[in-house]
Amino acid sequence: MPRAAPLDAVMRTLADPTRRAVFERIIRSGEISVAELTHGSGVTQSAISQHLRSLKQAGLVADRAQGRNVFYRPERMGLAPLVDWMSHYGVFWRDRFAHLRNVLKEIDP
Amino acid sequence: MNDAALKTDTQEIVVDEVFPHAPETIWKALTDGELIGRWIMVPTGFEPVKGTYFTFQTTPAGAWDGVIHCQVLEVIPNERLSYAWKGGHEANVGYGAPLDTVVTWTLSRVEGGTRLRLVHAGFITPTNDSAFKTMSGGWTKVVQKLGTVAGGLH
Repeated sequence: MPRAAPLDAVMRTLADPTRRAVFERIIRSGEISVAELTHGSGVTQSAISQHLRSLKQAGLVADRAQGRNVFYRPERMGLAPLVDWMSHYGVFWRDRFAHLRNVLKEIDP
Repeated sequence: MNDAALKTDTQEIVVDEVFPHAPETIWKALTDGELIGRWIMVPTGFEPVKGTYFTFQTTPAGAWDGVIHCQVLEVIPNERLSYAWKGGHEANVGYGAPLDTVVTWTLSRVEGGTRLRLVHAGFITPTNDSAFKTMSGGWTKVVQKLGTVAGGLH
């Protein structure tokens, strides 16, 4: 599946509880600076930055530099690979492909 | 909200797998009514002829009778088949919401078999998104918020 790579990235990235918490805070804020994210998180700024890099690589957040601050916001449709995977037709078609494999085995052993 | 914003909010589902069978065999499974019934659903009125209308009966939801109305759009034997896939009712959200989509099957010969690619295109987010209903707790909020961020279809 060509969508597997982005889906893997999204799932792997969100599997880490700290990173997921960072992502949820960004979503709740709409847009938030690295400094604000670090403040009160109990995690060092360098650890936060590392999580932000992963989130950005997975296409989940986007950044914007303003002066000395970098602001993060949720990436538009960043969760789309996950939503696709969970959607009715995503499940439906994967299921149908499995049925097709069996039918083909029967008619063309 | 304008047309351009709406357009960018349609999604497609892609499933792409290689099968150890010739394209002709897979084509048969895609275009023979009896065979289609064995792995997708039983079609009514299907013919692999451009313009043909056919239906699938699925599970009803609310005011929707569960009938999917299809029309064959393109037939290139052993290579490509596409049909419109419409159904649903405006009163529904998630499963059973209005659907105006297109299913396209593309076959390509590869070493040892055939690559079969399905693209089911035209889903409108978040209307057609069952995940909006099935995701629970924090994720519901996350996704709702994302929907707002994505340009506000509400």
